[in-house]
Amino acid sequence: MTETQTPPQENPLLEGLGPRRTPEPCVLVIFGASGDLTRRKIFPALYALAYRGLLPERLAVVGTARSEWTDYEFRDRMEHAVREFGRDDFKQEIWDWLAAATQYLAMDFTDESKADELVTLLNKVDEDHGTRENRVYYLAVPPQAMPAIAKGLGKRRRTRGWVRLIVEKPFGHDLVSARELTKLISRNFAEEEVFRIDHYLGKETVQNMLALRFANGIFEPIWNRQFVDHIQITVAETIGIEGRAEFYEQAGVIRDIFQNHMLQLIALTAMEPPIDFSAESVRNEKVKVLRAMHTPGPKHVVRGQYGPGYIEGKVVPGYREEEGVDPSSMTETYVAAKLYVDNWRWADTPIYVRTGKRLARRETTIGIQFKSAPHPPFEKAMTQELQPNTLLVHVQPDEGVSLEIGAKVPGQGMRIRTVQMDFVYGGAFRMELPDAYERLILDAMLGDQTLFTRSDEVEEQWAIVDAIVAPWARDRPAFPNYAAGTWGPAAADELMHRDGREWLRH
Amino acid sequence: MAPALSVTHAHKEEWSGEDVAVEDVTTTLCRLREESAHETEGPDLRTSVMTHLAWVPAEWEEAAVETLAGLEERHPSRGILLFPEPEAADGIDAKVSVIAFPLREHRRHIAAEVIELRLRGRMSEAPASIVNPLLVPALPVFLRWRGRPQFGEQRVEQLVEVCDRLIVDSREWPDVPKAYAELPLDRAACSDIAWRRTEPWRRCLARLWPGIAELRTLRVEGPVAEASLLAGWLRSRLERDLELEHVAADELAAVDVDGDACPVPKERSTSSELLSAELDEFSRDRVYEAAALAAVTF
Repeated sequence: MTETQTPPQENPLLEGLGPRRTPEPCVLVIFGASGDLTRRKIFPALYALAYRGLLPERLAVVGTARSEWTDYEFRDRMEHAVREFGRDDFKQEIWDWLAAATQYLAMDFTDESKADELVTLLNKVDEDHGTRENRVYYLAVPPQAMPAIAKGLGKRRRTRGWVRLIVEKPFGHDLVSARELTKLISRNFAEEEVFRIDHYLGKETVQNMLALRFANGIFEPIWNRQFVDHIQITVAETIGIEGRAEFYEQAGVIRDIFQNHMLQLIALTAMEPPIDFSAESVRNEKVKVLRAMHTPGPKHVVRGQYGPGYIEGKVVPGYREEEGVDPSSMTETYVAAKLYVDNWRWADTPIYVRTGKRLARRETTIGIQFKSAPHPPFEKAMTQELQPNTLLVHVQPDEGVSLEIGAKVPGQGMRIRTVQMDFVYGGAFRMELPDAYERLILDAMLGDQTLFTRSDEVEEQWAIVDAIVAPWARDRPAFPNYAAGTWGPAAADELMHRDGREWLRH
Repeated sequence: MAPALSVTHAHKEEWSGEDVAVEDVTTTLCRLREESAHETEGPDLRTSVMTHLAWVPAEWEEAAVETLAGLEERHPSRGILLFPEPEAADGIDAKVSVIAFPLREHRRHIAAEVIELRLRGRMSEAPASIVNPLLVPALPVFLRWRGRPQFGEQRVEQLVEVCDRLIVDSREWPDVPKAYAELPLDRAACSDIAWRRTEPWRRCLARLWPGIAELRTLRVEGPVAEASLLAGWLRSRLERDLELEHVAADELAAVDVDGDACPVPKERSTSSELLSAELDEFSRDRVYEAAALAAVTF
């Protein structure tokens, strides 16, 4: 005879208390806790979450790194970091709560005895803080350190409680290394446990792209090759390499920005509507876009490297003069490309992208340029100042959306010129936008993978990058080929001019 | 006129007049917007998400102005403050302000519009006809009614008809929980700031599930509105009656469940934050409605 069990009744008191999402008790273990990322992003994000009461009441944070710090020193440094980089005012009682939950262990994870010591410490933390053996491991370490940590954690993983592994970019250096890393991680962690961070996806305005496209009935019917002339995406920075010469010499802009942020922006712009907003549905659609992208030939790719120039009136050195950079370096600091997504929606619609360092202005913008009116009943002289309609999605710094439309100039006769209608995100919703890391750390604690990159996405991204860089080994362009503070090499303008187009002035 | 709202604005254009017509107000708004644009590189952005209507009887004026201070910046919409003065001679006095706030990393500003109307004499009896021409088209209307609305009276009913959401604070009502029975739940989405104040306590109480399922006695130290709503909420959600022991206090200070103290939540919100949270809600709050009715009917 089988026994029938009554399922536990759902908590009726929770209805209407959403949408606050509070993670289950857990320990956040930060590898690379003495690094810049922990100081500038992770701890300020934790403080901001604590400030808003979004962290679980039973939380513990364990920082680990090679630096020989005590708990006290680590807390002291993190307090300074929160004061310096936090977006909220400093409230002692909130910091005290977070500090009381924070510990530090100086260790080299390749040292087996130290790794065991960490496990012992975490067991004690579970007892002291009631964190139920739930773990979020944050790998804020360089790529070369990841395999040893992933392997060591896998070897020591416990069966009770859940595990989430946050992996910072870059995830590999090319397709082969990315696959190797995935293989290594997948030996010990299921894909559902791996959270690959691309912090761009945590930005409110990047997520707003999904809202703009799929919550507004007016855009989707015209979001295709029939109505769109072309798409332009710009990810421009004014800063140089900020002391990251060792990393940048190996990566260049193609691995630093293009492989992840740029391809994510393309995927979000070009993807089909997902059937729902679950992690798998959204990521399935993004992967389809990446698979449908055809590799641009060398003529459709422009690379550049900045020389000396001016940023905000000040002289700045060229890339090769930056500290730690090889004076004859061939590393690219700029890439522009003409790409195609070969599918029903976007066939023959070019997507022009450009990204670089030391450009004229810091901005990330997606521009959808629509086709001109088929037969405007105006004389040419009346519409000289008229541009095709363009929808601009400003990701940063001026988060928002603007639409360029033609309007009659007041007065006698008919003269039409382009005007801009603006929606400024911060103008309608007057609240501080959360930092991307706040959203992503919270999502990882909650187990929501929507804004994290899946392994097949990463592999598709690397496949595209590998194909672009393959011909680069064969030629040596005349670097530097653009001055700091400009919009990049002349060849990038020619890339557009050949098609009778121009980069949008944002 | 009510005292100027204390806000961190970039600039402010103002106009006031006595015995005005509604058309004077709309014309003035356009003019002030143009004048405001001259102060910056381009026109100030209007990014309204609603019309915020407030009915503020004289005894609530100071408290209302304090709460509304800063709301223009957080909710850059058109605010219409109605100050009824039924005893005065018939007429409308108006004060119109276009307040520009700086936008982070922008050289441009966003503009909030505040219209303060003194509805004198019979003008306070038919407020909808005055308000309707001033609403921002196609956007929701939130009505904050200070004090106890006399449901059934013409002016209340007219404004309830105009609004999409009625916001009250039943802590301001002398006759709760009985008064909850009068809420116009069939005509407008209703929110109650007293209910919002109970939210941190409700979260704490929800964590006591399933132990709380057989609750018999709830002891609440706090205002009667919050105490009644908490009891009503538990009655409606748990589908059982319970005894409420109420100890009067100015703020919610303690909640005991069958003699066991509920952990005191850390969150505390200002009155502006509470109202602001209500202005972010658009749909009916069925849990509140059930709680308010259960506060009366059990």
